[in-house]
Amino acid sequence: MKELIGNKWLVVLFRLIVGITFIYASLDKIAHPDQFARVVYNYRILPGLFINIFAISLPWVELFCGLFLILGLFIESSSLLLGLLLIGFTIALSVNFLRGVDIACGCFTTDPNAKKEGAWLLTRDVVLLLMSLQVIFYNRDFLSLQKAFQKKS
Amino acid sequence: MSLEKGSSRIFLQAILIVIFSLAIGIIYNSISKEGITVKGNWSKKVVSDSLIVPYSYTKDDPPAISLGQAMTYFQTHNVIFLDARLEPDYKAGHMPKALNLPFEEFEQYYPKVESLLSKDKNIITYCDGTECEASLFLARLLRTKGFKNLKIFFGGWTEWNKAGLPVQKSN
Repeated sequence: MKELIGNKWLVVLFRLIVGITFIYASLDKIAHPDQFARVVYNYRILPGLFINIFAISLPWVELFCGLFLILGLFIESSSLLLGLLLIGFTIALSVNFLRGVDIACGCFTTDPNAKKEGAWLLTRDVVLLLMSLQVIFYNRDFLSLQKAFQKKS
Repeated sequence: MSLEKGSSRIFLQAILIVIFSLAIGIIYNSISKEGITVKGNWSKKVVSDSLIVPYSYTKDDPPAISLGQAMTYFQTHNVIFLDARLEPDYKAGHMPKALNLPFEEFEQYYPKVESLLSKDKNIITYCDGTECEASLFLARLLRTKGFKNLKIFFGGWTEWNKAGLPVQKSN
């Protein structure tokens, strides 16, 4: 079982899945910072002063970490950062889930669809978090640029 | 396990990635047409003791009214209250005679209430409370449909319910 979890091909697969997911997620946020800032505001967790700077910088962390994971550069650091982000998202979602806030509009709701949406997002984040953890703990630089660089030097 | 390679190096690299991303983000934001201010203003605005409006409310928007004004309008007949929240929230409790027109599902619900709306009557939108902007966005949408006598009750359902005023439930 441990051999399966630590399989080098599985590490590469998870690097690709997490990397592509975060690159995809970052592009729309980079293109529309105003809309993303509103989403951050709707979570009602960050103080108003930090909302815009968070909305400006977070997508770039996602984009670079996603690219690094796919290319195989700074694999553990990128996976660590994305893992921390996923823990943050999971906590933020759970808090709002319990408070009954509909993330889509930032308003309180009893709408069952909003709850379903929240449950799906939570599941997705937890699965991605587990993949990031697997990459952090079992990466052996297989199919990575950092291994290619190490060989040269 | 790869962590044995040196966790301090991993943490240092992670910090550098964050600093690098922050710098690129700020530079890109400053040259992008879609760029936003680095220091945003997301606080609510206090218009008077009885009137607080969300940060996105501007002087060009339909007038905001307080709970007292909403009560006065409620006692007249020439008024339609529009509940901008989602249907389950509306059904759980709303202002008496208010119609449900959720901002998030406007296209779906507007045809249902369109015939009940009148451009001669005062239309007052409300949603959950000051934290919620659905009432503001609904009022803006209705203005594009040609409605002029619009007002927004930002205190919304929360203030109305807290004040112990009459409420209605729908099945």
